[in-house]
Amino acid sequence: MGFTLAFWALGPTTPGAGSPDPSMAAAIAGDSLERARALHALNRLTFGPRPGDVERVLATGVNRWIEQQLYPKATPDHRLDAALADFEILKLTTDDLAEMFFRDRQERRRRQLAMRDSAQSMDAAANPGARRQGQAPRNRLRRLTGQFQQLAVTRAVLSQRQLYEVLVDFWTNHFNVFLGKGQVRYLARDYIEGVIRPHALGRFEDLLVATAQSPAMLFYLDNAQSVAPGSEPPRLAQMEQRLRRMQTSRSNRMGTQGDRIRQAERRLEQTRARLPTGLNENYARELLELHTLGVDGGYTQEDVINVARVLTGWSANRPGQGGARFVFNTWAHDTGEKIVLGRKFAPGGMEEGMELLRMLSRHPATMRYISGKLCVRLVSDDPPEGCVAAGARAWEASDGDIREVLRAIITSSDFWNSELRGRKTKTPLEFVVSAVRAIDAEPDNTPGLARLVARLGQPLLMHQAPNGYPETQQSWVNAGALLNRLNTALGFAAGRVRGAKIDLTRVVALSDDIDEMLAGVNAAILNGTASANTLRVMRQQAEQTSDRRQARAVLIGYAIGSPEFQRQ
Amino acid sequence: MTDRSIDRRVFVKAGGLALVSLGIDPIFLTRAAYAVRRPDGPANAKKTLICVFQRGAVDGLNMIVPHGDPSYYQDRPGIAIGRPGKPDGALDLDGYFGLHPSLAPLLPYYRDGSMAIVHAVGSPYPSRSHFDAQGYMESGTPGVKSTRDGWLNRYMAHERDHEDTPFRGVAMGAQLPHALRGSSPALAIDNLQTFGIRTRPNTQDRVASAFEELYRGSASGLVASSAEEGFEAIRMLQTANPSAFEPENGARYPTSAFGRQMRQLAQLVKAGIGLEIGFADVGGWDTHVNQGAGQGQLAGRLRDFGGTIAAFAQDLGPRMADVVVLTMSEFGRTVSENGNRGTDHGRATAMLVLGGNANGGKVHGRWPTLAPEKREDGRDLAVTTDFRDLFAEVLVGHLGSADLSAVFPGYESDPSRWVGAMRR
Repeated sequence: MGFTLAFWALGPTTPGAGSPDPSMAAAIAGDSLERARALHALNRLTFGPRPGDVERVLATGVNRWIEQQLYPKATPDHRLDAALADFEILKLTTDDLAEMFFRDRQERRRRQLAMRDSAQSMDAAANPGARRQGQAPRNRLRRLTGQFQQLAVTRAVLSQRQLYEVLVDFWTNHFNVFLGKGQVRYLARDYIEGVIRPHALGRFEDLLVATAQSPAMLFYLDNAQSVAPGSEPPRLAQMEQRLRRMQTSRSNRMGTQGDRIRQAERRLEQTRARLPTGLNENYARELLELHTLGVDGGYTQEDVINVARVLTGWSANRPGQGGARFVFNTWAHDTGEKIVLGRKFAPGGMEEGMELLRMLSRHPATMRYISGKLCVRLVSDDPPEGCVAAGARAWEASDGDIREVLRAIITSSDFWNSELRGRKTKTPLEFVVSAVRAIDAEPDNTPGLARLVARLGQPLLMHQAPNGYPETQQSWVNAGALLNRLNTALGFAAGRVRGAKIDLTRVVALSDDIDEMLAGVNAAILNGTASANTLRVMRQQAEQTSDRRQARAVLIGYAIGSPEFQRQ
Repeated sequence: MTDRSIDRRVFVKAGGLALVSLGIDPIFLTRAAYAVRRPDGPANAKKTLICVFQRGAVDGLNMIVPHGDPSYYQDRPGIAIGRPGKPDGALDLDGYFGLHPSLAPLLPYYRDGSMAIVHAVGSPYPSRSHFDAQGYMESGTPGVKSTRDGWLNRYMAHERDHEDTPFRGVAMGAQLPHALRGSSPALAIDNLQTFGIRTRPNTQDRVASAFEELYRGSASGLVASSAEEGFEAIRMLQTANPSAFEPENGARYPTSAFGRQMRQLAQLVKAGIGLEIGFADVGGWDTHVNQGAGQGQLAGRLRDFGGTIAAFAQDLGPRMADVVVLTMSEFGRTVSENGNRGTDHGRATAMLVLGGNANGGKVHGRWPTLAPEKREDGRDLAVTTDFRDLFAEVLVGHLGSADLSAVFPGYESDPSRWVGAMRR
């Protein structure tokens, strides 16, 4: 666990003594424009620079490094690959996960029933044993869920393909699903691995279709259960047929089949009561509002209903019926004519939905809305028109190639506008990951870092509403949140953070010369951007301890807790 | 708006924590002529308003059940709450409306006249997007998306008589809700017990003041002002220790996130540290599938909701004379159940006003009926009360707000339209 950081006062402060030499600070900050460009690129296109990253980008050349990041597959990722070997969640099949999920659910229901019974027979509060039985044990799926959240943090920390991981995070929020909703808990692994990650830098249309056909999204936003009014699945007709055969069979006439028939009748009734009877607008609305056009994209309530009708039949098999896979149920599809955004959809089964998604992927409102969102992530909370338009133009020219849209935004003058640099505030995920990167710590497969991100307000894949986590500072900056970040910073410095191996020697070597360590910490964690005030406070605090280890930890704690480190 | 470094308040230490305002946001310099009557004397510093946001659009028709409306049972064959007297049936209020059975803990407050209900309330702007509609309800400017501050914050910025402490406006949670964002300081706290700098007790002061210096000297904008507010709050918590207050009067809060939030808001009320506006979020209302009836999904959420609010009222006991709980949700849900025994996004919903001088024991508002021709777009409960009129009535009636033109810019809340949820 490392040593405990003691922040007690060891004597009066000695103001003034040995303040940093301004010329040295300038040298640390580096005044070359190229250096500033490299730092900016790292701040926005990665989860934050690691010690030495600025120099590495400069050695490659900023523009060339960006091109490399746009083609991630060419960049080897050995350190991450080695770490991934410890993640069991990546090795299990969907059926394995499904089995755990359904077994847990069954077990939970059994326990709940048992508890209800015992609560009826005695005062449950007076019988703590019964209560304990009612609580779910730490089951395997829950542990794996924590591991899955930690996986996202680990990749963000370790991957050399940083821009790709930034985009994975972006699309994970854009096409949000919620681990807390029923079957999504076991489907989310396939969703991230098989839907988001393969398409994060591909064509938007492919990504959109993949999400629309993913069991996770189909269950999360209920389209799996949206059917044309009056439609019935074939298995219901089969059950009815079987029942009729039983009723008219000879053995029934002889009166020996009564129980079996009553049972079959009951089952038929139960099945019918559970079946969907009509439309569900949930996915249709969010598809237009959040995934494609944006809320001001010019659609009406009628359009929402017609989109839902177009997508009737888009559903998923449950595991055991050939894995949890997309399925188009012809019986559930509304065969009438639909009009969406003025365009007629002739009856065409599943192809209607494909045509709809193609149309939405190419709609000007979609291009602007998503280009704008990317600019909020990469450029500014209030992105200038230039970069948004550049992204939309590239979208149109490339038929929605995400890589081209990104390149257009990153090469726009707005992205490089020096007035917009260092002005975005990190999200909790970005704050934690950038801190782990800045001190070059080694994440493990325990959920420690993911829990830290959750404590700061961003439990991964646990955003219940379909809009995903916000990106702008007005959502994340407030007094309570900031104090939590300061505590986190102290935790990193004291080696109190779980989920990562921390070795502060990787930041700066121990030295008896505080100024030397101060310069090293400023260079490694803040890339020389510390203000005179920040340097003064850091130094003042470090001087209050005679132990150089503690002094180093103090310097690192205040660096991660500094206002400079909250921004990117 | 987000850069508050220039015209922000300056903290002046004078006998503890008096805060003096030096500037007013430019937006508030342009006051409309309309001003509402103010009760005798200045705004009462002891009054507290707790806003509870049911995020995800609660089905107002199953929360406050119009069991006397024939269309209700016709269009909800699978999810209607049974008539009063039936198993899991509605708890009758006035022969026409009833409470969802899970809200039984709130029935005594309705009966003794301390809880008012407003039905068919909502936004004049017909958005069925959760996020737009929440934004409109929190900004207080339906239809105007560019409003970046919230109505509660504008109230605080505008109403200067209340003693300004760091705890004047507090939201429980990791994020500050839109309703509390703006030029006036407001705190978001996810846990009172861990709020502060967590180092060894004997070093906390030193570390906190070092961080304070770090932020005061080199930061500006929202980050700097948030830090300043945080450190002021820490100092105040050192003398008033709200976490020490245990629930009173036998109140038992549900062990839910909402229960924890309300329990902590009650602690802040008891600590007497100037809480005027409290805010809590409670989710899980977006019941598109299997919402259930007297039992089931929505019933579970309402049990938490009603049980928590009732525990809060019980906990505060006589203090509830100075506290009002106002619940709200971005919109209601379709009158007819959908194809999955759930409901889709609708328009009007129901809101509760509990405590203070709430004009309780009544279901207020004009009931448009569920008759198909009276529905909005032929499908949803029509909005007959603009939510701003209800919010305005509560601000005036409970907090003694004198001028609402800055709180709801561009809208004149005419008392003749108020539903009468507060006693005058």
